[in-house]
Amino acid sequence: MNGQQIQSKIISMEIDVLNAVRQRTLNQWTDGPFVKESRLFFLLLPFFNGEQWSAKMETSANTVAIVYSALHAHDKVREEMPISKEQQLTVLAGDLYSGIYYQMLAKIKNVEMVQKLAAAIIQVSEKKASFHEHRIQQPDEVEETVKVIETALLHSFYEANEFQSYGELMECSLLYQRYTEELEALKAGEFSYVLSLLGDTLIHNSFIEQWLMERLESLSEHILLKANDCELEFEVKAILLDQIIPHQHSAEQLTREG
Amino acid sequence: MEKMKLKLLYSDLKPELELIETELEQAVDSESLLLNEASLHLLQAGGKRIRPVFVLLAGKFGNYNVELLQKVAVPLELIHMASLVHDDVIDDSEIRRGRPTVKSEWNNSVAMYTGDFILARALERITEIDAPRVHDVLSKTLIEVCRGEIIQIEDKYQLDQSLRDYLRRIKRKTALLISSSCELGALVSGTDEKTAAHLRRFGYFIGMSFQIIDDILDFTASDEELGKPAGSDFIHGNITLPILFARRDPAIYKLLRENLEKDISDDKRLEIVQTIRSSPAVDEAKRMSTMYLDKALQELDYLPKGPATKTMRKIAFFIGKRKF
Repeated sequence: MNGQQIQSKIISMEIDVLNAVRQRTLNQWTDGPFVKESRLFFLLLPFFNGEQWSAKMETSANTVAIVYSALHAHDKVREEMPISKEQQLTVLAGDLYSGIYYQMLAKIKNVEMVQKLAAAIIQVSEKKASFHEHRIQQPDEVEETVKVIETALLHSFYEANEFQSYGELMECSLLYQRYTEELEALKAGEFSYVLSLLGDTLIHNSFIEQWLMERLESLSEHILLKANDCELEFEVKAILLDQIIPHQHSAEQLTREG
Repeated sequence: MEKMKLKLLYSDLKPELELIETELEQAVDSESLLLNEASLHLLQAGGKRIRPVFVLLAGKFGNYNVELLQKVAVPLELIHMASLVHDDVIDDSEIRRGRPTVKSEWNNSVAMYTGDFILARALERITEIDAPRVHDVLSKTLIEVCRGEIIQIEDKYQLDQSLRDYLRRIKRKTALLISSSCELGALVSGTDEKTAAHLRRFGYFIGMSFQIIDDILDFTASDEELGKPAGSDFIHGNITLPILFARRDPAIYKLLRENLEKDISDDKRLEIVQTIRSSPAVDEAKRMSTMYLDKALQELDYLPKGPATKTMRKIAFFIGKRKF
């Protein structure tokens, strides 16, 4: 599968998700469903890498993307008073998407996936709640929290379809991407729950940048290792390293190995 | 007191409802102390548990198996709870059932996570049932309830909306979940299709009547009885049946129009409440509620006579007469 085919498939999945959750009022008042391209890439990674792929798996993958959209919508709800119409509908968009993922899986009689996704949503909600609990003491605990939030849904899909061999690569990659975003937010002076927690656990705010840089460095090495372990096809690996989670070493490393 | 009276009606189901209460508490158990506390806060605020009751009662028309029925009853109540937490964010509500809402006790984010958590627990539990039809019915209901809520926001502050708009909204918002409670109770108990259909329609008509009464009480009950300010529906822009009937009086229409979508004083709120309360609109709305109740009772006539039918009949009468 070449790079163009990979990009087309990702776009096609994005369109499938849009069509599945289309609703006139929500289209007008909310930003619509949103899933990061990296998450779509990892949902499709086994397919890109030549694993056996069925229509049922494709539907399941779409439902995972819909759940990501549902949780993303709810993350966008702010504390403003009084709540705006856009925000009210964003709450309902998340709820509607949840109903739709359940219905899609019910239609293909994939109750196991409903169960796995529900369990993942529980984990994600618990970890998000921990941002408000002030119980996290160590940077490792921050990392564990971020890891679950970013990857629990994808893990549930991998588990249900016996694609666990891609789990660690996905985990390192999505953590890498999240830390890159956090670093950008830090440099821009923006607030984020993760930065706030890191500030609390690292004694001094000035250590946050250093900690993030170190983690990025380490994750970068792991991604290359795991990409090799998974025996990713050359084109798939190229897209992963150059477009999905672009990072400084990727191009030269790929050239060296390619 | 009213809740107590209602619970007396289904005292025959006390052991089953206690089991369901325990299951509900277990269902919201979480490794997050915050989510656990927020969910219990909601659970302990009480509620009529009308959905589990209808699941159990519908189950009496088939092979009554509490273990199986609670696997439907608990998720249905959890779905209802999850929607309440999110509704309070949507409506900016500070008080529910006389207690601070989750969003008010914590914040909007915590309310969002709590709702997501409770809904996921509901789906996790319902997957213990391996019956495709159950999942078809429940997933469709979930979607329709959300669509109803979306329509409710679209219709907000639309004083000139039609009666049909209102009925379509309450059907999705309330009646469907009660209707599905009856249907699912019947399905998991293996009743025949005809019985399940009568139970589903009974639930639908009761749900419609129940919501209309709720909308009437928002004007006729006191702040204390409601556990929130009377007239909250109008303040939030929800145009309910009493308003639809009352607006036909030009003077009332003017009063409503002038105060809609405004940050009104407490005196003005009470003036509006009093105006609607003393208008013929309340009686007209009650008549419509009674019409739905009668239809519900007619459905019961098709079902075998017995204690379950009797209790359903009593609940229907109670809903028609409840004061708050």
